[in-house]
Amino acid sequence: MKKQIITILVVLVASVATFAQSGKQKKADAATEAWRYEIECAGVGADGTYLVKVWSYSKKPSIAITQAKKNAVHGIIFKGFSGDGRSCASQKAMANNPNIEAEKGDFFGPFFEEGGKYMKYVTESTDGFVDAGDRLKVGKEYKIGIIVAVSKDALRKDLEAAGIIRGLSSGF
Amino acid sequence: MRKVTTKIFAILALFMVSLSYAQAKKPTIMVVPSDLWCNQNGFMTTYDNQGTTVKIPDYKRAFQENPELIQVISKINGLMAERGFPLKNMESAIKTLESESAENAMLSSKSGAGVAESPIDKLKKVAKADIIMQLTWTLNSTGPKKSVNFTLQGIDSYTDKQIATATGTGSPSFSVVLPVLLEESVLAHIDNFNASLQKHFDDMFENGREIIIRVKKFDSWSGDLEQEYGGKELSSVLEEWMTANTVKGRFSTSDATENMMLFEQVRIPLYDATGKAIDARGFAKSLQDFLKKAPYLIPNKLMMKGLGQAVIVLGEK
Repeated sequence: MKKQIITILVVLVASVATFAQSGKQKKADAATEAWRYEIECAGVGADGTYLVKVWSYSKKPSIAITQAKKNAVHGIIFKGFSGDGRSCASQKAMANNPNIEAEKGDFFGPFFEEGGKYMKYVTESTDGFVDAGDRLKVGKEYKIGIIVAVSKDALRKDLEAAGIIRGLSSGF
Repeated sequence: MRKVTTKIFAILALFMVSLSYAQAKKPTIMVVPSDLWCNQNGFMTTYDNQGTTVKIPDYKRAFQENPELIQVISKINGLMAERGFPLKNMESAIKTLESESAENAMLSSKSGAGVAESPIDKLKKVAKADIIMQLTWTLNSTGPKKSVNFTLQGIDSYTDKQIATATGTGSPSFSVVLPVLLEESVLAHIDNFNASLQKHFDDMFENGREIIIRVKKFDSWSGDLEQEYGGKELSSVLEEWMTANTVKGRFSTSDATENMMLFEQVRIPLYDATGKAIDARGFAKSLQDFLKKAPYLIPNKLMMKGLGQAVIVLGEK
């Protein structure tokens, strides 16, 4: 009887923790959809990649860190990012239709879900080590900055093939 | 009867398929070093034009003597090919023109006839493209620090409009050599350039291709553009034709005299009524046919320049 109670308690605690985690993840995803992240140029990436620094918000630092990769890809597709006016040039969003995310919801839903295809384009990130200056406490939340390298050529090609954005030679 | 119906359906289906696969005429793009770059780097030739010294860029010497130019153009060509839009290579275009001139000079028929070439044909023999990517960079030095100013301008060869651009200054560096600074600049700016080029193409697909049409007259022709047909001057007739045949009636008459007319910002459809892709020549051909017919009966000569410029000279072939 005692063993059964302990098992039930362990399962209960584990499921509460899981629900809390998935709740935070959902909040982080909602923040991404609401554009609640900041993205800036972090240098000239290798050929075919963008090197960006993404600032994400979450009460749990680990969620903010994982969400940074999703935000990096999201930002490159829909938001574009600013540079320093030097070698780090500002870049426009890949999709020039502002409503494309809603219009192609069937595509972007699974694309940005946990373990979705967006991870294919994240080639490197500094999620193993976050600099002290890149971990800020804002109210009850953490604002965490991660540098992410995104394979933009591969991303663009796949979006063109899926008919989400037009290629330069489309129609010719 | 049944066989005939099947055949008609098959022909119709083929026609529909060919329509659905119709593609607009693709513009050619070529990277060209700007006059400013050629002048700053000493790649100019001068000649005396009736007492005035004129400087023109010596592209061939620039390609032969400047390794950075080859590197930058090669990088841009590679990145554009990656985007599915391979560019015309200027150095190769110059070589092809030279070998073609040599071949034409040597070519003769069995009876000894040479290849016909008018002065206009000779004038047109230059390396050209529908869109020019004009490239400029300058090296800045502040003490031991070096940085690069980089500018890429996309210019429509016919309308002279700047349709795309990307420009910026790289970070100053003590140690990085010029080729690396240039490569960084190309990588940093090419996507912005392509984004503005894409906007230009999107506009073209929505509002038609923008071209220029010139109408002139041979001095041997007794008529002119003020001649009246059914109470209307020929120039007004031409404007009415333009309104009826351009996309949303969009064009501007920039110049009009009794001897010439210049139509700019003429938006032509990308396809004709049969679904065939057309350019300035295809569009001006319809105007040529219109002028040949009654009540005008004006013989005329049609000349073209690439996808975006056509000239109709009235009075003779």
